[in-house]
Amino acid sequence: MSLGLSIRRQNKGCETMPDIKIKNINKTYTDASGAPVEAIKDINIDIKDGEFVSIVGPSGCGKSTLLEIVAGLLEQTSGEVIVGDDTVKGTSRDIGVVFQDSALFPWKTVKKNILYGLELSKVPREEQEEKLKNYLELMNLTGFEDKYPSQLSGGMRQRAGIARTLIMDPKVTLMDEPFSAVDHLTRCTLQEELVRIHEKEKKTVLFITHDISEAVFLSDRVILLSPRPSVVQNEYKINVKHPRSRSDDYLVQITARIVADINRGAAAPENDYII
Amino acid sequence: MEGKTKRKKITIINILQIATLAALLLYMQIAVKTGAVSKVFLAAPTDIVREGIEIIADGTLIPHFLISVEEILVGYGLATAVGIGLGILWTIFPKTEEYANVFCAAVMAIPKVAILPLLILWFGIGFLSKVVLIFLFAVFTILYNTVTGAKQCKESYLKVAKVFEATNIETVFTVILPSALPSVFNGLRLAAATAFTGVVFSEMQSAKAGIGFLLSEAQSLLNSSRVFFLIILITVMSVVFVKAISLVEYAICHKWRRV
Repeated sequence: MSLGLSIRRQNKGCETMPDIKIKNINKTYTDASGAPVEAIKDINIDIKDGEFVSIVGPSGCGKSTLLEIVAGLLEQTSGEVIVGDDTVKGTSRDIGVVFQDSALFPWKTVKKNILYGLELSKVPREEQEEKLKNYLELMNLTGFEDKYPSQLSGGMRQRAGIARTLIMDPKVTLMDEPFSAVDHLTRCTLQEELVRIHEKEKKTVLFITHDISEAVFLSDRVILLSPRPSVVQNEYKINVKHPRSRSDDYLVQITARIVADINRGAAAPENDYII
Repeated sequence: MEGKTKRKKITIINILQIATLAALLLYMQIAVKTGAVSKVFLAAPTDIVREGIEIIADGTLIPHFLISVEEILVGYGLATAVGIGLGILWTIFPKTEEYANVFCAAVMAIPKVAILPLLILWFGIGFLSKVVLIFLFAVFTILYNTVTGAKQCKESYLKVAKVFEATNIETVFTVILPSALPSVFNGLRLAAATAFTGVVFSEMQSAKAGIGFLLSEAQSLLNSSRVFFLIILITVMSVVFVKAISLVEYAICHKWRRV
């Protein structure tokens, strides 16, 4: 599976309990004509505590479907997702989700948006204010708390979206193509900020993206899904310490390798079975 | 429109519009004053103004005006409360919509003016029958706009509410209703205009007071200046009312929406 490069399935002895365990997940939809469509098929992924894992794959391969299943927003057809010690049955405070277009509420200020979850869980005011201050600082949003989303740039909105999730202190954070709607330069800045935050908080992150170099730059491990029905096509361990350089030879090589694998997969899906 | 200070240039078109209006008024004035058109069919603008000043000065207008305003405020206020309230109920408990929708749709389909005779039988020719008619005129527009707005809530907002473990009721009040506000206000504006139709119509049919009553009285006395004045007055009231609703919307939403 892996050629010359040291891209290898990670098979070291399990030293920490996986924080997210995705076991034999299948999702079958019924399309408009009533025919069943297999979206994802027998997906198994273990994510360790504190690990940053990205899932990449061709568009329409079911990455977002998988994320929604892990988040408890969507029910799988079969299989099981375990976060921490608990089986995922619907959404939970342990699982934070950052959405694609930030999905901030336009009628709330940045402050009210970020505090949305804390207000719902009736956290005392002083505690809210204190946390707000920290996360505004962490996400470089201080001074913008009374603005409305329509008054912010795309990058700022996404920062506020991330703050809204992180302030809840979830065990794991799921991110669904969070930077896909912002321009390239902003995206690079946001990526660097995300790395900084991850280095600081060491939270488990499952990151969905269609941007291979983004996945490689950010992650400890990249998982490639095949086109429909989605299976895990390959896994790439990125053994490079942060801060990383985007022009790092090793990262560039892995990126090229993943792109090649995607193209190969699209031409003829690489499966373990011959049907 | 709403509070935006956009300096408009006066164009040729504006000048033509004003000239057309002036020509029309001038024609009315000359046609009536020279006797080319009978005073029964048309009124000279100066007569309309004089008539207006007269019925205000002699105290004829104010009590009728106040009664109409009161009927509208009560009827429309009730329609707003019930329309939005029922809309919220339907959104929180979709079963209630499933149950009640058919009845609401049926009552909505009845031409309201056709049931005025019944309303008069039930509620008399006074205040109450007017309020009920205005209510019926306005409530469905408000209800269905609220419900439609609620149903158009963005999927991603609902997902956010779910991820943050909002209960159904919390989701309705923190997410669905705020996102439905533009649609709710559209309903309120449409209903405001129809509320005026309701009040004038019912007062013209059978009443002892109100602007509609004055209007039909003036008509039977062939006092066309007064008819014209009252029509203008009702139009202005309706425009002011709709504008007032837009101002409320602006006050609530202008911070986050570019209205």
